Amino acid sequence: MRRLAAGLAAMGIALAAQAQPALQAPASNNPFAGDGAAIEQGRSLYNATCTTCHGANGAAGHIGPGLATPGRSYSRKTDAEIFGAIKLGIPGTAMPPHQGTLSDEQIWKIATYVKGLRGTAIDAPAAGDVSHGEQIFRGKGQCSVCHAIAGKGSVIGPDLSNIAAVRKTNSIIDALTKPGFRVYGPGGDQPLKLQPLPTYPVVRVTKADGRTVRGVLRNEDSFTLQMMGLDEKLYLLDRKTLKKVVYEPNSLMPADYHKRLSETEFADLLAFLTRQTNRPAAVPAEASSR
Amino acid sequence: MRLRLALLASLVLAATGPAGAAPAVANNPATADPLLRPDPADWLTYAGGYQAQRHTALKQITTANVRTLQAKWIYNMADQKNLQATPIVADGVMYISQYNRIDALDARSGRLLWQYQRGPVALGAQRGTGIWNNRLFATTNDKHLVALDARTGGVLWDVAVAGGLQLAGQAPLVVNGKVIVSGNRPNGFIQAYDAQSGQHLWTWSPIPAKDEPAYATWGGQEPQGAPIWVSGSYDPELNLIYYGTGQPEPQWAGEGRAGDNLYSDSVVALNPDTGKLKWHFQFTPHDTHDYDALEAPVLVDAAWKGRPRKLMLQANRNGYYYILDRTNGEFLQATKFVSRVDWALAIDAKGRATPDPSKQPTVQGVTVCPSTAGATNWPSPTYDPALKMFYVVAQEGCGLNLRDTARNYAGTGYLESPKDSESWQLYTRALDALTGNVVWDYKQVRSPHYGPGLMSTAGGVVFSPEEFGQFTALAAKTGKVLWNFNTGSVITASPISYSVDGKQYVAIASGSNILSFGLPDGGGRR
Repeated sequence: MRRLAAGLAAMGIALAAQAQPALQAPASNNPFAGDGAAIEQGRSLYNATCTTCHGANGAAGHIGPGLATPGRSYSRKTDAEIFGAIKLGIPGTAMPPHQGTLSDEQIWKIATYVKGLRGTAIDAPAAGDVSHGEQIFRGKGQCSVCHAIAGKGSVIGPDLSNIAAVRKTNSIIDALTKPGFRVYGPGGDQPLKLQPLPTYPVVRVTKADGRTVRGVLRNEDSFTLQMMGLDEKLYLLDRKTLKKVVYEPNSLMPADYHKRLSETEFADLLAFLTRQTNRPAAVPAEASSR
Repeated sequence: MRLRLALLASLVLAATGPAGAAPAVANNPATADPLLRPDPADWLTYAGGYQAQRHTALKQITTANVRTLQAKWIYNMADQKNLQATPIVADGVMYISQYNRIDALDARSGRLLWQYQRGPVALGAQRGTGIWNNRLFATTNDKHLVALDARTGGVLWDVAVAGGLQLAGQAPLVVNGKVIVSGNRPNGFIQAYDAQSGQHLWTWSPIPAKDEPAYATWGGQEPQGAPIWVSGSYDPELNLIYYGTGQPEPQWAGEGRAGDNLYSDSVVALNPDTGKLKWHFQFTPHDTHDYDALEAPVLVDAAWKGRPRKLMLQANRNGYYYILDRTNGEFLQATKFVSRVDWALAIDAKGRATPDPSKQPTVQGVTVCPSTAGATNWPSPTYDPALKMFYVVAQEGCGLNLRDTARNYAGTGYLESPKDSESWQLYTRALDALTGNVVWDYKQVRSPHYGPGLMSTAGGVVFSPEEFGQFTALAAKTGKVLWNFNTGSVITASPISYSVDGKQYVAIASGSNILSFGLPDGGGRR
């Protein structure tokens, strides 16, 4: 994996040496749109150039704002607008032009990477050792004690088989490192559809016979309550049969993975998580024709 | 009063033809107008009656038997969703509306009788229709008002709205043979049309003209806003219609419009024959929180401090429950009906509120209670005249009030405070109508946002639908849960009750459907 990345990076530099002289106006079409290899190179360039001011993975830095953080809206949305901001700078701000130090091709790759970060994790997966990441998921990280991927693990917490297509990379990092982190709800919009709960509150119910069940709430209304017990059983309850319902203030999700794991282990876990999408089964090769 | 009317009505009935026939002469308001003495078997207006009490006199369904209530039929309104409309029922026919659309159903079976669909199919916040003299009134989304024959859906007249204005989704209110409608743009307005001919009669605007004293309450700026989009109420004796008005513009930025900004956030009493303003009362002067007064102005006759008064009750979006004298707008009382109200420094003995200047929206954001969504909103309250209790869907919580930039206009609203202790939660809340004290509370679990409204019955039941589909019945006296049914969609409308062949039904719009419930066959007595 690393050798491949290095080889691609070498190719990238070779390509850049053949680039056209820098244009004054940004081109409107991104030659690297959707190009996974270009995204990888874009990340390397970003980490080498942009993290002076901005944060890793498009998080906010100490000078520059977040470029791919959950909940932000951006004035520069298209590939061309991002390209233009990098190449020509943003007058009146601390963002300098880079057309002297980076070629157009390099800038397009960075723009492609940043744009990818704004999609979901799968659009700009993190670099790292993916199979080592899976080992951490199932071992030292204890993730599969609550989560399942592709049918392996526990059903207590949300299934992560498709997490990279649902959440941004920075949102996944926040979930692993910030206590009480949650993806916010509609914030005041009128709900017009029935949906399961977007959060996973912990609830403890006491039944009429005095027994308690603790687990994760999946939905509820004034009359019923549906929860996944810590015993991985689904409890579908009538409130009339419950003596008490306690909503616990804290999530079951640990938020100290940046302390539990080494830097490399964290990076590898992230590399694994940011590649988890529901993949259709591979189509078997055609049988020989009749 | 009632005896006089009944005598007059019976005299005129003898003179006119068979019941239901349209009179050939010009409409006489004193003729047997069922809107003045509605049959309890019908639900003839958006709010159930001119007093907007949303209370049915039907009492076949009681606290004892409501637990046996069962679904009788479901009607799916094709091409529609998120219905906000209250149906009306007259003589066993139910009419459900949308912009450009009215469907007529057999209210006993839910079977479709006729359908009026003027192009194009529209969605939106259209909340009902009105019926008078066998005609229905449909608001369109292309600046027209249409009258239909209630028996067939045939178009009787189709007029362009005077002034080229677009009507809002308010259910037309028919008073004295006049169709009262309203709208929002470019500013709020109320209009009346002759129900027989469609002729435009008058327009009234809450935005004062330059020569009116109220113009000076805008600090020299051109007055704007005060939209009107919820039906009002009517007192036939005083011959006054009561309408709430909306917020001044620019909504979040008040610095350019110093002053009270009349007649925004007020209740106004108009003569329906002339459209002239008789009195007004402003709930929120110089508003910057979208605290419009488009909540139902409920009319109640009761003893106030020892003598009989004609009252008007409103649970206002700003968090206060007001009691006014509806003959002249005299302020009698204001009490808080949600636990946190901090936008105002005080309300004085005349009912005048002083907004807290530190609660104006800012670029960084200010937490204000109640939120801009309001302590309540357009969904209907109900009044039980036997218990003298007022029931409202109360929204606890606070909002984060932001302005996008310091520019004069830009802003955002309807943001729930991110603090858990200030998050939004709906309660069906019962108040003593005269003291404003909370008698009981029912928490609508997992319901954060306004949408469903209420209805009370003479059988002692309050029907209290919940946001994500539960249709719930509570004991009006105690709030005890008596019955529920999961209707399967988001509910953002209010229930009604009606009777066909001696059997009582309760109906509610949920999602794209109307559901009607009744007692098991044999379970009801006439």
